[in-house]
Amino acid sequence: MHESMSISLSVTPERAVNANRRREALTAYVFLAPWFLGLFIITVGPILASLYLSFTDYSLLEEGSWVGADNYVKMFTQDDRFLTSLKVTTVYVVVSVPLQLAFALLLALALDRGLRGLSFYRSIYYLPSLLGGSVAIAILWRKLFGVDGLFNAMLSVFGIEGPGWVSDPDTALGTLILLHVWTFGAPMVIFLAGLRQIPQSYYEAASVDGASRLRQFRSITLPLLTPIIFFNLVLEVIKSFQSFTQSFIVSGGNGGPVDSTLFYTLYLYLKGFKSYEMGYAAAMAWVLLLIIAGLTGVNFLASKYWVFYGDTK
Amino acid sequence: MSLGSRKKMWTVAFLTAAVMTTASACGGGSGGDGGGSGDKVKIVFSYWGSDARQKLTEQALKKFEEKNPTIDVEGDFSNWDSYYEKLATKVAANDAPDVMSIEIRGLSEYAGRGALADLAGKVPSADLDQQVLSSGQVEGKQYAVPTGVNAFSMLANPSVLEKSKQKLPDDKTWTWDQWINLAKQISAGGGGAMGAEYNPNPAWLQIFAAQRGEKFYDGNKIGLSVDTIKAWWNISQQLIAAKAAPEPAKSAELLTAGPEQSLLATNAGAMGMWWSNQLNALSKASGQELELLRMPREKGAPSAGMFLQPAMYYTASAKSEHSAEAAKLIDFLVNDPDAASILLSDRGLPTNSKVLAAVKDKLPPVDQRTLAFIDEIKGELSPITAPPKGALQMEDILKRNTDEVLFGKTTPDAGAQKFLSEANAAIAG
Repeated sequence: MHESMSISLSVTPERAVNANRRREALTAYVFLAPWFLGLFIITVGPILASLYLSFTDYSLLEEGSWVGADNYVKMFTQDDRFLTSLKVTTVYVVVSVPLQLAFALLLALALDRGLRGLSFYRSIYYLPSLLGGSVAIAILWRKLFGVDGLFNAMLSVFGIEGPGWVSDPDTALGTLILLHVWTFGAPMVIFLAGLRQIPQSYYEAASVDGASRLRQFRSITLPLLTPIIFFNLVLEVIKSFQSFTQSFIVSGGNGGPVDSTLFYTLYLYLKGFKSYEMGYAAAMAWVLLLIIAGLTGVNFLASKYWVFYGDTK
Repeated sequence: MSLGSRKKMWTVAFLTAAVMTTASACGGGSGGDGGGSGDKVKIVFSYWGSDARQKLTEQALKKFEEKNPTIDVEGDFSNWDSYYEKLATKVAANDAPDVMSIEIRGLSEYAGRGALADLAGKVPSADLDQQVLSSGQVEGKQYAVPTGVNAFSMLANPSVLEKSKQKLPDDKTWTWDQWINLAKQISAGGGGAMGAEYNPNPAWLQIFAAQRGEKFYDGNKIGLSVDTIKAWWNISQQLIAAKAAPEPAKSAELLTAGPEQSLLATNAGAMGMWWSNQLNALSKASGQELELLRMPREKGAPSAGMFLQPAMYYTASAKSEHSAEAAKLIDFLVNDPDAASILLSDRGLPTNSKVLAAVKDKLPPVDQRTLAFIDEIKGELSPITAPPKGALQMEDILKRNTDEVLFGKTTPDAGAQKFLSEANAAIAG
């Protein structure tokens, strides 16, 4: 009622209003133009080009020719290293993401207890998240867990002779998982924000009823935090499936020793830039997109059964 | 209304600013080509290597520009790890450097894919070692001119040998068994040094195979037998089992760390296999006068198996608009004593006999010894051939499969089969 009143009361005729709107829309598009240009030229264009290239045998040095779905078929039927890279990446994601989230939640809980100097600790714990994906840390990791590295030096104090953690095929992936868990800062900050959202009155009511701390955590904190856990889970699964730098630097660029750290994206890179099979690499990129989309879809479907949004029940 | 027009004014101002920024950015890029340098032709020369090489190369390019005032050369330098990625991307973008450095394993890749120009008749080559020069041919065309030569050989650290009370053997007759025994004795000698270190370089396997009458590359196939590969792995297995060479994990770390960190260069190992042009860097790092030795032989081997390999090649882009200038630069780099007296043996010992005679006395003592060594073994060498397309991946494939065997992840039999199928697939593709 109010709106129609104000319009009929205004002196501007309807046509002028429309013209004004159109002009406003035009202005908006003009302002958006640089962004659209960027989107189409440097994002959508190359994405579509890579879809086309994935059906060719483009080699970087020569124009490719159309090979149909050959790249995709070869990947799953003839390429053992592709399957290895899938396996390595899956192990990495399945082990490191839950560990990292559990660790992040644990620290968020500890920090949420009204600690003095909270912002200081928060920054300190967030630091690894900023550094974890960097080349410098990967190099540090290589030194730390080498045969004569600091970690083995520490072990030797206790009389243990450690292996070359990063250069032994049995332990190399473990060091990368550890590196990923160490970058718990980003999910931790999100958890902290989520914890602050939970009304204090719930806890007060629960303590009046005599609920123990553990009970409070299980019946109040955890259920109310599930949307946050879900958000972090989706984000971290996507992120860790695309990990590249860590394995590239720690393994010296080849996914070694014995392909034990051959991440999916690293193999994609090796195919494209070392064996000059750019068409194949493009196909791998599309398969990765499908895998990640599929995993995210599964995550969303499964979320119905465990994520609790307070307002829906 | 006034509000609307002010908005419009801001829009226009913003867009103008945006356009000007882009335009000036473009202008800055294209201005470098034409303006400033007058009538000069600009060519780009790409190469990889250490800081020391970059300094030498810049000096040599400056000399070239002095002699050819109409040509402006831009050195495009990167480190080895990223060199081919960068080069391939540039070639793909039709922005290939006019003169490109390529090593022997990349030659077929680039020549076979039409990226290189035929240099026959464009770069004078009469004074170059003809046999070495022929290694720059692919399918009868001279796509590449070698920069200089190296030999893959055994290096020994005399001070470590002395400490463990062992003597340098006669390298004219020594066998692999004798070499393994010597390494064992050095490690057992209690000096704290290792006898040998493992090296996954395909050159070692190539020499070893030649001693058994097999070729690494036989046309477009791998000519190695399963037995030869197994026997070759067995050498490393024996050394590791006897602690005469570091365990595989330690070896892997040493290899990532680079030549200067090797056991030989840090006086923690007695013997190692390297390219002869690395003698200089390794000697400097160790502070010792390292010895160049022939590779050991198989008992009753028909040939020593050692070969001269061009350290790298100069090639010209097939799509260069300044091919004459590109050829001129290559001519200068390989045929002009002025270039050689700056570059010396950095890209291998020069093969131009006249250039070599002119700069011989200027070479540092280490290079003189390398030169004498190569002269000495000249009669025993096997011919050089450019390996087929896909050879760039051979080192990775060999190293991965070697690791699998040495870490005990697979049996030598299965490993050899897997290596052969992977290697054959790589060069067939």
